[in-house]
Amino acid sequence: MSVRFVPVQWNRNKWVYDGLLLAAVMAYLTLFLGYGAGAADATRPVDGAILRMRAFGSCAYFLLTLILCIGPLARLDRRFLPLLYNRRHFGVLTAAVALTHAVYVVNWYFAFAPTPQLEALLASNTSYGQLLGFPIEALGIFALLCLLVLAASSHDFWLSFLGAPVWKRLHLLIYPAYLAVVAHVALGALQDAKNPGFAIFFGAGAMAVSVLHLAAWWRAPSRRRAKGDWVAVCAPGDIADQRARIIRLPDGDRAAVFRDGTAYSALSNACAHQGGPLGEGRIIDGCVTCPWHGFQYRMRDGCSPAPFTEKVPTYNLRLRDGVIEIAAKANPPGTAVDPLTVGDPA
Amino acid sequence: MAAFILLIGQFYLYTGGLVAAVFLLWGADRVEPNLRGSWLVRPMLVPGAVLLWPLVLWRWARLEKGRVDPCARHLPPRGGQDLAALMLALLIPVVLFGALVLRQDGPVERPATLLEAPQ
Repeated sequence: MSVRFVPVQWNRNKWVYDGLLLAAVMAYLTLFLGYGAGAADATRPVDGAILRMRAFGSCAYFLLTLILCIGPLARLDRRFLPLLYNRRHFGVLTAAVALTHAVYVVNWYFAFAPTPQLEALLASNTSYGQLLGFPIEALGIFALLCLLVLAASSHDFWLSFLGAPVWKRLHLLIYPAYLAVVAHVALGALQDAKNPGFAIFFGAGAMAVSVLHLAAWWRAPSRRRAKGDWVAVCAPGDIADQRARIIRLPDGDRAAVFRDGTAYSALSNACAHQGGPLGEGRIIDGCVTCPWHGFQYRMRDGCSPAPFTEKVPTYNLRLRDGVIEIAAKANPPGTAVDPLTVGDPA
Repeated sequence: MAAFILLIGQFYLYTGGLVAAVFLLWGADRVEPNLRGSWLVRPMLVPGAVLLWPLVLWRWARLEKGRVDPCARHLPPRGGQDLAALMLALLIPVVLFGALVLRQDGPVERPATLLEAPQ
């Protein structure tokens, strides 16, 4: 949480996260460069330049695969939430590794082209009408451009300036980018690889992303939209103390009903920072705490404690026939609402 | 055609550089109060402003005219994300198995080995 933008809000957790990430990338590249040549087909030995481009290319693929696995994993099992904490640095590092791969490709395969290198890259294969031999360069360029845009717009300034809806839509580019990367590898390196280890690791990574996203979608709370001006949530005792129940409202928004002892309040489920799922967080020091980056909001009015200025919409609650009901229409962000008090929620 | 695409790309980036300079040195302070006095962070924002300059100009104009709904900030397109994630999950196996079907030989054939020369 911040009242003035700084380059990076470093803390111990981020240093540890980034340190481990860099160490893992360095270890992968070292191992690949050390042993990759031996694993290549003996009839087509690879030289140093090709080995380096394969090392960085495969590294970028696995990093991107991990990034896309973190989101659904954190939704399926809260123990993975710490991986989500600094995912933006993960993304920036992935874009840098992918760019290095692209630079090696251009400087090796198009080093002696009669036209400028980038022009040769675009013009070398234009067989867009066929699948076998499809210009995988275009898929790679598209994915790289997406990764660069995402990395360049990852600072909190862009989220604040563009607004959450635009920023979030922009960052949905990660999905077509990953699909383009899978197609880039599947129609390129996979067609030619003789080492089964590559096919197995590549396929397992892509299928892990697919299966985890399907599982997270299937287990998403409140996939169905409710109807009416007031929407039934659950009995008071069904919400664990200091936790929340998420509900999808008729307009498609999600709200989170929190319980703090005998008091119940409802906030928008989307954190004002990056749209994190507030309802999957818990109440710490009397404030609703986002599970993604720890942004906090008061239950009563949805405002961050001073000096912070973030605020989220609140909702009215009522108790009918032993069931908590939530108003379908949100109050403006920061509107104070007296908590609903229930004698003995059990 | 390739040369034309690159020319367009160059024009886009040069324009982006110009927009980034004006926006980060002058405009951003007018529409983003939390950036005032923060100069160290601005070099980090240059790549984003260069790559996203049409979006920057559009958003800058809306903020200057006050045509921004403050409540919209809290409405991320979660529904769109669910759909995008679902499409990705369904298309990955299609691409993967389609590519394996296209392959001229099996994906797990034994790799060629270097034989010893006869004695």
